[in-house]
Amino acid sequence: MTSLYDRRMVLFSGKGGVGKTTLASAFALSCARKGQRTLLIELNVKDRLNAIFGSVEVGPEIVEIEQNLFAVNISPSVAMEEYGLMKLRVKVVYKAVFENRVVQSFLRVVPGLNDLLMLGKSHFHAMEVDSAGKFLWDKIVIDAPATGHGIFFLKIPSVITSILESGPMFSDAKKIEEFLRDPKMTAINLVTLPEEMPVNETLELRQTLVEELEMPIGMIVANSVYEPVFDEQESKWVLDADADQFEDTQTQGFVDAAKFRAQRVEMQAEYLERLENTLSETLVRVPYYFTERFDFQTIAKIADEIDEQLGEESGSQRSAG
Amino acid sequence: MASTTDASNQFADLISRREVVVCVGSGGVGKTTTSAVIALHAALEGRKALVLTIDPAKRLANSLGVDALDNEPTRIPIDRFEEVGLHPKGELWAMMLDMKKSFDHLVDRHAPDEKSRQAILNNKLYQYFSTSLAGTQEYAAAERLYEIYTGGEYDLIVLDTPPTSHALDFLEAPNRLVDAINSRAMQFLYRPTSGLLSVGTNYVIKTLSRFTGGEMLSELGTFLKAFSTLFAGFQERAGKVRELMTSDVTTFTVITAPTAGNIDEAIYFHKKLGADHARVGGFVTNRVHPAWVPRAELSRPSGQLSRELSGLSEAYDALERDAQKEFARKIRGNATDFQVLADLDEEAIMHLRDTIPRSIPIMRVPYFAHDIHSLAGLDHVRRSLFVA
Repeated sequence: MTSLYDRRMVLFSGKGGVGKTTLASAFALSCARKGQRTLLIELNVKDRLNAIFGSVEVGPEIVEIEQNLFAVNISPSVAMEEYGLMKLRVKVVYKAVFENRVVQSFLRVVPGLNDLLMLGKSHFHAMEVDSAGKFLWDKIVIDAPATGHGIFFLKIPSVITSILESGPMFSDAKKIEEFLRDPKMTAINLVTLPEEMPVNETLELRQTLVEELEMPIGMIVANSVYEPVFDEQESKWVLDADADQFEDTQTQGFVDAAKFRAQRVEMQAEYLERLENTLSETLVRVPYYFTERFDFQTIAKIADEIDEQLGEESGSQRSAG
Repeated sequence: MASTTDASNQFADLISRREVVVCVGSGGVGKTTTSAVIALHAALEGRKALVLTIDPAKRLANSLGVDALDNEPTRIPIDRFEEVGLHPKGELWAMMLDMKKSFDHLVDRHAPDEKSRQAILNNKLYQYFSTSLAGTQEYAAAERLYEIYTGGEYDLIVLDTPPTSHALDFLEAPNRLVDAINSRAMQFLYRPTSGLLSVGTNYVIKTLSRFTGGEMLSELGTFLKAFSTLFAGFQERAGKVRELMTSDVTTFTVITAPTAGNIDEAIYFHKKLGADHARVGGFVTNRVHPAWVPRAELSRPSGQLSRELSGLSEAYDALERDAQKEFARKIRGNATDFQVLADLDEEAIMHLRDTIPRSIPIMRVPYFAHDIHSLAGLDHVRRSLFVA
């Protein structure tokens, strides 16, 4: 299997609120630190990378946010202009056609067009070469939409190839579809929390991606895993404690907080086990951080964490093979 | 806290006087759970309540302890309640909106004749587009809600909206669709012989087909032509749906979580809803970390804390003093970790409180040690949301 670090395009999806942006940022940072020239892509969302990397706001222009790490927030209208200009070559013609009021109102409702444009631009960057024919980017990391929309997003090229038989739109869609299905080129990473609903959703999403879309899954990331503070015996003490065991409410509060931690650790362990038992992919565990925001330091720690765990995995695979 | 109880009472009172509750919020904040909890509350209070989700993941069915939900309302059997010691005076119903079926349903109802109906249902583009065209999901949800509402079978309908960054997409979507279909380019595509097009537009269409291929434009044309037969019906219904959404019988509830990012989005939803003349009746903040130990108490020396912990268990009491102190330090470290989170949550909620009008209650649902994925779990949330 091609290592995750060797794929050209790596996407992150999963249930809403599980930390896709955080993980995409951390993985991109990890790639950049390995010397890979990395482009981190947001898809027409309110920029969150500026807060994480302390950079300028990331817009439709590519900006450097760390050494070797660049970012862009793809805007469908800008992507359309770039694409239009690439094909038409003449700005005046582009303007006459694409900025025509009638065409604009038409394009606004072409179903799936925005998704196709964003996916098309991502693919363009993945294959972009310099004058010497060398790839411009070593790695494209995409903070992809959450589960439901994520599937539509990834599905659009195959919808087009199933409707059309030829033509420029068909061949572009075909190229993207093949690229997305190629396990040497692409990996879709699924981010989840070790909890009931996110785990269920992740398993369903994985099934759809593998069986229906035939796309390669990379790693599964279990985010926000509480590190156990208490050993087995200590956990039992706090788990067995009653809600009114202590007269002093503060002492009770200390015990209640400990009990919460122990309960969460216990519950998460069950879901982590379920993920391990159900999935064949690498399961990366990212610890819970008791910090204000996902600032650069936390992202850097997560990057190290991913790197270490992926390293172990490929090491163990090598020794097994 | 008196203010928490006041907020809960005010919210419960509002719900009891409304017939439609629309839950909006970003992904992962517990919207589906909260929607089910509001319907559960109403059912326990004696109303016939329906929760309508459009969440494709089978979350609601899971939580309600039934195998699956489909496009028609299902009543949650009374046994399920009795198993967890609940005795509803009313009824709890749930359904999961199946996008494809709902859209087929729309086609069935609005198609002028059988031929148009078949033309749409058999179109190659239809299947994909009916479930993913921007706004169609939202439109189908709002339309279905309206249909059920006018059916008059339920005292309360709670709508769990899809996670979207545009809170009111499902109100705006019908108008967008109608505008688009009426555009001249569209008319060209589905009425190419009408002769209304100028030479300029013809040139434009020709250039466009260099991108898409003529085949794509003609497929789109067929699709839109068939689809356009529905739109007279759509337009009229869209107006009525909007009327319901902004009327006195409906209240919007913004669901959020106490992180700075989620609170900012909640504030944005409130603003957008206001601009659309929709009324927000409350904010529900899920997963609020409880303040287990006040900050001032966290500096308690480990020796003191270890003595106070005596009686925790026989094994603890039997430990050496140093081992007890070591354990007390862990206990203190853990409480300190969680206090950081409780403070951050509090700060985020205060920001929300300062930003939105005082008249709108903000409810807090604590972060529970266990996931909410059962009727008992929903009831647990209900207690903190309504009986605070």
